[in-house]
Amino acid sequence: MYSHSSQQTNLTLRIHFIWRIIFTLLMVVGVYLLWISDTERESWQKIIITVICSLAAILSIYGATQINKRNHSGRMIALLLDYLGFATALVIALNTGEIFIGIDALGQTFPQGIPYLGIVIAGYFLGSLDEYLPTKKATSENSLKTVGRWIMLLGGILFLWQIEAVNGAVYFVSKLIQPLGIASVIAIIIFGISLWSMSRPHIAQALGVKTGHEQIINGWLFLSPNLLGFLIFFAGPLVLSLYFSFTDSDAFNTPNWVGFDNYARILNVRFALLETPTQLAREVVDIKIYDEVDRFVIGNTGILFAAADKFFWLALRNTLTFVLFAVPLSVIPALILSNVLNSKLPGMKFFRAVYFMPSIAAVVGIALVWQWLYNATIGYINYFVTLGIEFWNNLFNLAIVDPKIQWVSDERTALLAVVIIAAWQTMGFNTVLFLAGLQNIPGELYEAATVDGAGAWDKFWGITLPMLAPTTFYVVSTTTIQAMQVFEQVFILMNPPEGPNNSTITLVLYLYRSGFQNFQQGYASAIAWVLFIVIFGLTLIQFQRQRRSSIYES
Amino acid sequence: MKLQSYRLIRFLNNFFIYFVLTLFAFIMLFPFMYMLSTSFKIPADTFRYPPRMLPRDPVTIEVDGFEKPLPLYYVEINGEQKEFALAQSNIKIGIYAPADNLSATVERRLTEVKPTGGVTNQQTVVVNDKEEKLFDVEVDGQIIPMILISQTTVGEFINPENPNEKVSQNVRLSTPVESISWHPENYKQIIELNNMARALTNTALVTILVVIGQLVTSVFGGYAFARLKFPGRDTLFVFYLGTIMIPFVMLIVPLYQLMVVIGWTDRLAALIIPWIFTAYGTFLMRQHFITFPKEIEEAALLDGASRFQILKNIIIPASVPALATQATFTFLYAWNSFIWPLVIINVGNEKNHVLTLALNVLRGRASDTPNLILAGAAIAIIPPLIVFILGQRFFVESVASSGVKG
Repeated sequence: MYSHSSQQTNLTLRIHFIWRIIFTLLMVVGVYLLWISDTERESWQKIIITVICSLAAILSIYGATQINKRNHSGRMIALLLDYLGFATALVIALNTGEIFIGIDALGQTFPQGIPYLGIVIAGYFLGSLDEYLPTKKATSENSLKTVGRWIMLLGGILFLWQIEAVNGAVYFVSKLIQPLGIASVIAIIIFGISLWSMSRPHIAQALGVKTGHEQIINGWLFLSPNLLGFLIFFAGPLVLSLYFSFTDSDAFNTPNWVGFDNYARILNVRFALLETPTQLAREVVDIKIYDEVDRFVIGNTGILFAAADKFFWLALRNTLTFVLFAVPLSVIPALILSNVLNSKLPGMKFFRAVYFMPSIAAVVGIALVWQWLYNATIGYINYFVTLGIEFWNNLFNLAIVDPKIQWVSDERTALLAVVIIAAWQTMGFNTVLFLAGLQNIPGELYEAATVDGAGAWDKFWGITLPMLAPTTFYVVSTTTIQAMQVFEQVFILMNPPEGPNNSTITLVLYLYRSGFQNFQQGYASAIAWVLFIVIFGLTLIQFQRQRRSSIYES
Repeated sequence: MKLQSYRLIRFLNNFFIYFVLTLFAFIMLFPFMYMLSTSFKIPADTFRYPPRMLPRDPVTIEVDGFEKPLPLYYVEINGEQKEFALAQSNIKIGIYAPADNLSATVERRLTEVKPTGGVTNQQTVVVNDKEEKLFDVEVDGQIIPMILISQTTVGEFINPENPNEKVSQNVRLSTPVESISWHPENYKQIIELNNMARALTNTALVTILVVIGQLVTSVFGGYAFARLKFPGRDTLFVFYLGTIMIPFVMLIVPLYQLMVVIGWTDRLAALIIPWIFTAYGTFLMRQHFITFPKEIEEAALLDGASRFQILKNIIIPASVPALATQATFTFLYAWNSFIWPLVIINVGNEKNHVLTLALNVLRGRASDTPNLILAGAAIAIIPPLIVFILGQRFFVESVASSGVKG
């Protein structure tokens, strides 16, 4: 085996040491240039970049000293920084070449390629067929697999040709030939070489690699695509969201720090005692600041509830009302249905699948369908109501008047219409969850209860419900979290989305309106956090209740 | 005796179970049935009251002597219902009566009657203190001056086999003859009318890329969490778990601003790249990989296989059901998503619309043609249903197990 002289190894490590120093200098110069010459970028972006670059610079210096001391942590740091540099340069190169933006153009040519994609899939199936061949001759097996592979390759090439991948590649290269693109390609090469050199066994040995180190490197390497994306597109924005909620950000200008102003505006409410139930709001509160949200009439007097931002409180009221009705309506029938489905009769899987169907359909499409079902003059729902009333009238000789409900344009029924759609759509999903919970209850419990002479009803209350408690907790909390975010049904069903007299404005709808129609994005972020706190609180309450009841059970 | 009554109760019990189940199945399926049948109707048929399920068309018939096919109606002649063709509609009929005997009415077409004494010098008569104009009406060959009491409009129906057999009747009181007929051309029309083809392509493209990307990152991440020991792993995993509960709307504003910074607003990339990295998918994959027997892996490691080779050659082939389940989940999520595309893709930029956005536009544009709107809805709803039916077994089981574990 070819072995490396220690002299060679030492030289390589010296180069790595110098490279780490250069890396540090590059970071420092980069930050300096960022603050001196880049005037377009907003300060929060500059701060983020500065923090990241400074950390990298400090780490790099530390890594350099560790490499000098022949410590393995130096190798770890070098690998980490070079990997991050490699990934960043790669993304910059791809972005400069407009690969990501180019997906739009792919939307144009993609349909032409679909038939050829079919060839690829056919080739794959042909290749996998030989596993099912009755006679397993070594030769035929290989040939079938090879043929399948060739067909896949051919289909792939034709597909790429049809979606004009060649033009795309030419365009990519042409876009890449500019200072930033070339610099990023060079950076890719340098970081790549450094990574390759650091991962060679003799370098690793020179730096004192131990068993377990490879697992650490592999672990971070495998997790890295997910973790980086997660940090950039989830954790980072989450922190930013908190920051925005303390600013007056409008998506275009530099956001100004406003402290708790957004939250104060949301929470600025007044209660006032009314002398008569119909007393005007302006007589009891300052209507320059407050708008009436609701009034609660108690006998001859009443309480007026007014808020600086009445839409938020209307949205909160509607959302909580929605949750209060939609959750029981989608959980209780699901509980009953799952108990019925749990009988070991034929055909239960069919029904289970049918009940599941609404929950996989696009809410937008579903809401459009229901919009026509709810139509007051030609819709099926009013038709069924009419038929039902006629039936009762004939049966008992009554004279109930057909109400001809204006489902979506009457403020009394608009929210109910949304509740019905949501309950219809989530019921099947919950049924399946309950059914799984039921099937996990040991049958001996029921047998023992039968021996003790318990009836079906006793068994349901005494065994089924307590044993289902964890499932019920899961179902209720997920349904609640989902219901708190109701948006699409309302947005599609109602015209305008906030419904007649704001009767269907919900928190997410109001968030959308504040953030993306009025572009008060700081305020929208504050709404988002209040929504989160409400959701979190509701879940916590349910969790507490579930824990308390489970303590009693045991 | 006792056994028989037991059987009866069992039968009634089962009957009740199936009755309840079928009732709910009907409730669950009815909107889908309505959507499909309406999407095959003609616009006039969708506005019928009482509503009818199956799409129907008015029947027309070719009659000698008429250029265009004539619509068929049910006409009652001497208490007998017959199918007659409507030859002429909007015929104005006047009801006339002599001034001295108003109950002896006759019906004549307005064109058949001439004013008494000519157009310029029409005679009049006073009836009930009102001056009424007189018309010459021919009755049994005699011309009698009469006054116009009222007017109505009728249609002339003819027997299609014998065009000389004519009946005049009010068109609104006769019901048209209809036959069940399906109009699949609605789908063609909606695809051409509303840029639906491009939206369908974009949705498919976005969904495919999100599914592939998410599977790749989740498999690698899940494997690292399940099988590789590295410092910080467990803390990080708890952190991942904690974020699963955070609703997406929390991120919508900062993610939008991030897209503005990167320059991806109005781009399909914004619908794909942020969705490739999910904590939930990683969590599911980790839960799956952790059940995989460790011994096989250790044996492969001793043989000198790398972690990547183990993942590719041993673990992934053994995890096809779990991968299929997650792919189905992701498929549904990506295909059905609405609020993020609504925020990030401009309404005017139709070439980057996905199906849900196209439906949103269609809702306002075609509000008088429910057949087209529901054809559009069907285009958005049916592909996920097909995926569901194909992967039903995996999918429902895994939803069930996620609930039990949670």
